Amino acid sequence: MTEAGQDEATASAVMSFVERLEDSSSQFYREMAEKHPQNKEAFLRFAKECERTKTLIIRTYQETITDALEACFSFKGLKLGDYEAGTVLPKKSNLADDLKTTIKLEEMANTFYVDVAGRSGQLLATIPRAFKKAAETRTRRMSELKEILNASAGAQ
Amino acid sequence: MTVLTEPIRQVLNIKNFVGNEWTESKGEVVDVVNPATLKTIARVPISTEDEFNAAVDVAKEAFPDWRRTPPRARARCLFRLKELVEERFEELSRVQVMEHGKTIDEARGETRRGIEQIEVATGIPSFMMGYNLEDIASGIDEYLIRQPLGVFGIIGPFNFPFMVPMWFAPYAVAAGNCIVMKPSSEDPVSQAKLAELLEEAGFPPGVWNIVNGGRSTVSAMLNHPDIEGICFVGSTAVGRDVVYRKCGETGKRVIAQCGAKNFLLVMPDADIDKTVAACMTSFYGNAGQRCLAGGNLVVVGEGLSEREYDAFYKKVMAAYVGAASKIRVGYGLDETVQVGPLRDKGKKERVVKFIEKGVEEGADLTLDGRNVRLVGDWPKDCFLNPSVFENVTPDMSIGKDEIFGPVTCVVRAKSFDEAVEMIHKNPYGNAASIFTQSGRWAREFQYRVQCGNVGVNIGIVAPMAFFPFSGMKDSFFGVLHGQGQEAIRFFTESKVVIQRWF
Repeated sequence: MTEAGQDEATASAVMSFVERLEDSSSQFYREMAEKHPQNKEAFLRFAKECERTKTLIIRTYQETITDALEACFSFKGLKLGDYEAGTVLPKKSNLADDLKTTIKLEEMANTFYVDVAGRSGQLLATIPRAFKKAAETRTRRMSELKEILNASAGAQ
Repeated sequence: MTVLTEPIRQVLNIKNFVGNEWTESKGEVVDVVNPATLKTIARVPISTEDEFNAAVDVAKEAFPDWRRTPPRARARCLFRLKELVEERFEELSRVQVMEHGKTIDEARGETRRGIEQIEVATGIPSFMMGYNLEDIASGIDEYLIRQPLGVFGIIGPFNFPFMVPMWFAPYAVAAGNCIVMKPSSEDPVSQAKLAELLEEAGFPPGVWNIVNGGRSTVSAMLNHPDIEGICFVGSTAVGRDVVYRKCGETGKRVIAQCGAKNFLLVMPDADIDKTVAACMTSFYGNAGQRCLAGGNLVVVGEGLSEREYDAFYKKVMAAYVGAASKIRVGYGLDETVQVGPLRDKGKKERVVKFIEKGVEEGADLTLDGRNVRLVGDWPKDCFLNPSVFENVTPDMSIGKDEIFGPVTCVVRAKSFDEAVEMIHKNPYGNAASIFTQSGRWAREFQYRVQCGNVGVNIGIVAPMAFFPFSGMKDSFFGVLHGQGQEAIRFFTESKVVIQRWF
């Protein structure tokens, strides 16, 4: 790999990252639902949202053909390693701690989607639109998680 | 480094697909080798003339029923085929990486482009409509109808093994014809994978046939009296001197899309960063093995003093060589890779000979791609890194001939007129692009330039499925082109009816 190797992500690498991110997020929320049954409904809904986001983005990518996407000059300067977030749920932790971990995951994912949306602005509109939608989903979810966190603090 | 899983895990024995059945060939068998790993992934037969003729017989027998099948029913087969290809999208794309060498992003793009041809061909009920006029004379009406002709032959190239046959096949069958396709024997696997879907899509036996082979198969196709027309994509030498000539002798319709030497002009007002990014894709994408690939980069000094021109030239070249030298070359299933190998060792050797010739002829090899540096540990036999030649003149072999590899030849032109003249002196006329922010130069360029596909700030001028894939001079032989409505006209006969009722 050349010196520039790590700061230009191919479209394929970005899509694989999305796939991993949404799969691991979905799995994370399923574990949250199991561990904290009082919020099971919300967490399972989030898990399904992750699956839908993955489908949306992969489908959009596969349906969008541009020479820039093929040659991967569309994500210049993007370092995927900067967006790795922990998706392992500690065994001995309470709801509040887990929610804080979850909010961090959402923040990182949101940052990723905002960044890739910004970098893909010159591509067909469908690509940045899909990323923006994913970012919006993550933003809304962060608000919901904060509400759950506040509610749980109130209950204690 | 993330290498995606290979979809072919054991050597495949490719068979012919005739009458919706897989048939063994008695012909010689050749290996299909993954150019990145040098592992054999499939064996493909060079079918005999008798086997080809038998496939034509099957297609001919299927024609009357298929022709009578309503266009909307034929379109539904294509709708189903599209869905089935979508389901196998990833597998088909990875197969192309393994059989050809392109990167996974390029292969997915190729699969998508192939699907888009199917999508457009589903519009056959509208495309195939004729027209009419009442009362051309007293009580007499006249109308035109389009009818299919029979059996067509399709000869696929190695550089886009999945997409290019789809420039023709969906339109041919949508219009009610039957086809016998010969994929490139170098990378026939994705077409064999496509054949797995044809019966499920609802195509009756004999409508869409695939016969694998080589030159002898092409020869059988050209000589067969029941083949109404031939679609060919490949070199000018074969397209013009063999396919076009023979079709003329035998009265067959022909689309022969051939070689190219594409010129990309960089005007002084061009956005250099965006131009260079577009050029990287154009010159080095698919390892330069595209008929739409950039060949000559012409840096134009229109309106500049000598000093200004030198400064502009240096600025362009610094950005260009900097970007080209950073391109990551390796196995196309590695997601960090931007350019894959050439299709085989012979093709690499051909490009290397061009590079040697360029040095002999006095061009400056600023970036030497023969110094192979790869992402990952792969045999280097088929790989080349990007090369850049400067001080190329249009009369050098590297300046006039199609290299079909990852090499940029940089030519200087003092004026726009000089640059256009260079394009016109070259025998090819496939594509040309101009990079400028001036509407005046863009308009002048598209108006004057004798090329079939013209780009303004576009690196690869690839027409979408609903436009014809054009071409002029030594890049195209025939009248109508592949893709879209022109393809429908190619695959149908116009019949005029004049009617009066007493």
